[in-house]
Amino acid sequence: MIQDYLILSIILFCIGMLGVISRRNVFTVFMSIELMLNAANLAFVTFARLHESMDGHVLAMMVMAVAAAEAALVLAVIILINKHKGKLDTNIFSLLKG
Amino acid sequence: MKLLVPFLKKTIRKGALDIMVAEWLFTAFSIVAVLGSAGLVLSRHPMNGAMSLIITIISLAGLYALLSAKLIFALQLIVYAGAIMSLMLFIIMFLNIQIKDLPEEKGRFLYLIGGAVLISPFAAFLIKVVKTLPESQTTIIGNGFGGVNEVGLVLFQEWLLPFEIISILLLVALLGAVVLAGKRRLK
Repeated sequence: MIQDYLILSIILFCIGMLGVISRRNVFTVFMSIELMLNAANLAFVTFARLHESMDGHVLAMMVMAVAAAEAALVLAVIILINKHKGKLDTNIFSLLKG
Repeated sequence: MKLLVPFLKKTIRKGALDIMVAEWLFTAFSIVAVLGSAGLVLSRHPMNGAMSLIITIISLAGLYALLSAKLIFALQLIVYAGAIMSLMLFIIMFLNIQIKDLPEEKGRFLYLIGGAVLISPFAAFLIKVVKTLPESQTTIIGNGFGGVNEVGLVLFQEWLLPFEIISILLLVALLGAVVLAGKRRLK
């Protein structure tokens, strides 16, 4: 059973990575990152259950706090981008192109 | 019937029925989670994607409950599905995104297939690594494993410094969000 949980976590992580590398919508990229964080959380909790220690739970809580901070900052950046460029495309990040 | 009752009694006494129910629940939750994440990656409008991600997060909360992580189960529902995702839905509605504002993404299914081809060796490698781990059952542990009291003891005894650093990180993120998205100064 432990292996099934870990394989599910790998599948979710790979789907999130797929969303990051192949989509151009800013919101979808951000939510794919959230999905990857969730997959890592599932792996933490599974290993905590495997070793019957609760350090994995504490780490999962910290990942949640980091995800909350990240969500606040990323949404502020998205509001700014939408205000200035009127687009939600990740291609507008290519400002340093010569 | 005469045969069935002793068989059922024996299986229930061994706890085999609990394990079977847990496996069914795991299968259902994992299928829903994978379908929700596929909906997130495939959908064009971010609102549909956010709804799919909420479905994934709720089914992951069910998986945490199956892993007897009671506090993480509650936090996943309250913090993730309650706070973070509602903040995201609020921003999506606040920006009033129409279908014409979204990027074109004409060949996105082609990109998705290409990305899947790129990622699949990585996934195969990770699954091979996981297969070498020792197998063990995931029955529900009693005696307060994963409860608020026990996790709180671990958090405030062994993880006190990371906890304080996380609080500073949250403060910095709050300030940054206010500075970034707050009122622009007059030029």
